[in-house]
Amino acid sequence: MDSLILELKEEIIKSLNLEEMTPEDIDSDAPLFGEGLGLDSIDALELIVLMERNYGIKLANASEGKSIFQSVRVMAEYISKNRTK
Amino acid sequence: MEKKYIHSVVRITNNQLMHNGELLLTRSAEDSSWPVEMYRGLHLQYPKFFKMDNLCKVGFLAAELAMKDVGVSPETEKPDFSVLLLNSTSSLDNDISYQQTIADETNYFPSPAVFVYTLANIVTGEIAIRHKIKGETSFYIQEKFSPATLSDVAELGFMPHKGIREMLIGWVDFLEDKCDVLLFRISVNPENSISEWTDEEVSRWYEAGVQKK
Repeated sequence: MDSLILELKEEIIKSLNLEEMTPEDIDSDAPLFGEGLGLDSIDALELIVLMERNYGIKLANASEGKSIFQSVRVMAEYISKNRTK
Repeated sequence: MEKKYIHSVVRITNNQLMHNGELLLTRSAEDSSWPVEMYRGLHLQYPKFFKMDNLCKVGFLAAELAMKDVGVSPETEKPDFSVLLLNSTSSLDNDISYQQTIADETNYFPSPAVFVYTLANIVTGEIAIRHKIKGETSFYIQEKFSPATLSDVAELGFMPHKGIREMLIGWVDFLEDKCDVLLFRISVNPENSISEWTDEEVSRWYEAGVQKK
């Protein structure tokens, strides 16, 4: 799980252009939206694309993301259970 | 026609950044990202910068310098201020990037983050958000840089009935690593200005950044 969490942090930094950040700056349990990383609605869409492109997970609707994108750890757990690639 | 006065001028070319005629930065290497190099060279702190496309990045950088000595912070609302920009390539630089995310049918992942910048006028919005500018924002596509057209747009932009007294106006163009920016902060107030706004002055500032062959 730890390696997937690290991989996910690196992907998030790359996909969301968080150039000033390193994986160490992202708390695995901190909220991704709001007070945590402070991501916005476009970032949420980009995360949905990331899930499909990298792990073959297709979210039926954007509202599903609300529970899945709670934190990097929650995301990693969902990916490890549902990935097809 | 009310007289207008230039208070700040920013010129960005492929390899130089100038503010009020002073050379601030020179590009260090052709293979570097020039907008990112300028951002770091100016020691700015605005994480959203990295999410912007190149057109927004260079417009944002020019506005940071042009607004530097405006006398109030970016956090202060500016109801009497406008942002009016022009260029010739619209958002084509970013449109190409977006097209690349949908070019391969077997690897078809349209990027929402790239898509949101496929409009030239996003740069006026980014600048207005950053500096809390509440007046008019417009972006015009023209065949080529023309001081006379810039003057026409400036004339339209000062709207006494809406109380518009100041504006950022200029040419902000970026395509495939070619950067051509000339941004003015102008006002109807002559106090502390650099010069009166005339077509000749606009032309002179533009030519100041043209690379001699």
